[in-house]
Amino acid sequence: MKTFFYNIGYFILEAFRTIRFNPLSNIISIIGTGLILFLLGIVLIGWSVGDQIIVTLEQEAEISAYFTDPGNPNQVDALTQQIKTIEGVQQVRYVEKAQAKAQMEKLLGNEANILELFDENPFEAFLEIRINLDQIDGILARLQKLEGIEYVRDNREVLEQMRQITDGVKLVGIFIILAVGMTTLIIISHMIRQGIYNNRDQIKTLRLLGAPSGFIGFPFALAGTLMTVLGGVIAVVFLFFIIRGGYSQLSGALPFLPLPEQGQLQNNIISFILSVSALLGLVGSLFGLSSMKNNKA
Amino acid sequence: MIEAREVSLIYPDGTRALKNINLVIKPGELVYITGPSGSGKTSLLKLLIGMEYSTEGELKVLEQLMNKGNEHRIRKARKLIGPVFQEFKLIDGRTALENVMMGMRFLGIAPKRMKEDAENALKRVGLEHKIHTRVENLSWGEAQRVAIARAVARKPVLILADEPTGNLDHDNAINILELLTSFKDSNTAVVITTHATHLIDGVKNATFIRVTSGEISVQKSEEEFGG
Repeated sequence: MKTFFYNIGYFILEAFRTIRFNPLSNIISIIGTGLILFLLGIVLIGWSVGDQIIVTLEQEAEISAYFTDPGNPNQVDALTQQIKTIEGVQQVRYVEKAQAKAQMEKLLGNEANILELFDENPFEAFLEIRINLDQIDGILARLQKLEGIEYVRDNREVLEQMRQITDGVKLVGIFIILAVGMTTLIIISHMIRQGIYNNRDQIKTLRLLGAPSGFIGFPFALAGTLMTVLGGVIAVVFLFFIIRGGYSQLSGALPFLPLPEQGQLQNNIISFILSVSALLGLVGSLFGLSSMKNNKA
Repeated sequence: MIEAREVSLIYPDGTRALKNINLVIKPGELVYITGPSGSGKTSLLKLLIGMEYSTEGELKVLEQLMNKGNEHRIRKARKLIGPVFQEFKLIDGRTALENVMMGMRFLGIAPKRMKEDAENALKRVGLEHKIHTRVENLSWGEAQRVAIARAVARKPVLILADEPTGNLDHDNAINILELLTSFKDSNTAVVITTHATHLIDGVKNATFIRVTSGEISVQKSEEEFGG
């Protein structure tokens, strides 16, 4: 350990010397690694956004119950009280025709002027029922049996579709993570093998002088890790602009989309990509170093 | 320190480089190995440092059996050896000082002391003015002296020098031999191969081994060479 600390400066200089020895090839490898890690970052962003949408939709799971006779205030009060007693119902709120239209206008944003095509308010009053999503089946069964309820609209299908999309993204993500991992390991171990081959005389001399394998190999492992982290930095820079651009676009076009908090998403992606790049660099370098054993002395 | 019993070396192409070598070298002993080119001097040194393994017999260097399968221990033992290779084995792209320090970095020496020792070694071989010169820009003689500085800066218990004066003028050759032989006073065994016997004429308190066609033909101890 003492020897390691005495030689930190030497290891860093040797690592940079290894990188500089074959500059063009190493720069291409760094850019390639960066692009691969960028792809990983994109998948992770899709993953995070999908998860956030699901969680938000689940938290705000609502059922809309429409009346057979919407103009009867006694029926509305009676039904509200009855529904509140159903297990899993958290809140029941009466939404008038005007409120229903206002909600839709808010949802449509700039496109709300399409509602001006109607001479009369096309929306009906309804009961907005906030529920515990786990108990949706029982609640729906009870609601449909109630007199005075004509139609019940739930967003279960939307939730299911969202969940399927997110599961699909996750599955693709897992494949991409595996592919990224394998590709990065291959690129880095190849770079290290090349470095070892280029420095084979030096390695042989150091062995003849009695240098331990760890001392000889550490600068190469450091070089591999540094190159992958540099690739990670390239990926992070691109991802930063993608996130920033994406958020400014989506916040204008789809303001109601429940996106994760931008700063937190950026921090999570940056720290994850940099950590993964360092880890892959180290593991790839160790694979590459195994070729040093064949360098007999 | 070194013990060889009936050691032979046959290269894969069938060339017999060494035959039935018997040798004992003790701490503080100065040994000159002489003989014409191709006689087996370098092959013997290659066996001693573990660059080749004997095909017959038993060789021990610093208590380690120089056998295949014992590489890990051999590498540890090499830390105690100061080798001077015939082809120098310096590392290009580095200065003379960096090359000397390269041989010391894994010996657990503090950086400041390591630099001082390396600079002193380069001064002792007369290269204080070339400390920061890259080794590929040095003459053959200067490069050879860097290789010698690298070996002695490690303060080894065994110096193995293969033709260390091969590229030096007479005065520098004498200086280098004096430097190498001075280590025997600190109980370091010094083994030097040379075909330039005129440089060691009159040397006393040394063992002289003459190798001819892979065999030890003459071995004289503690007496004046050439007599």
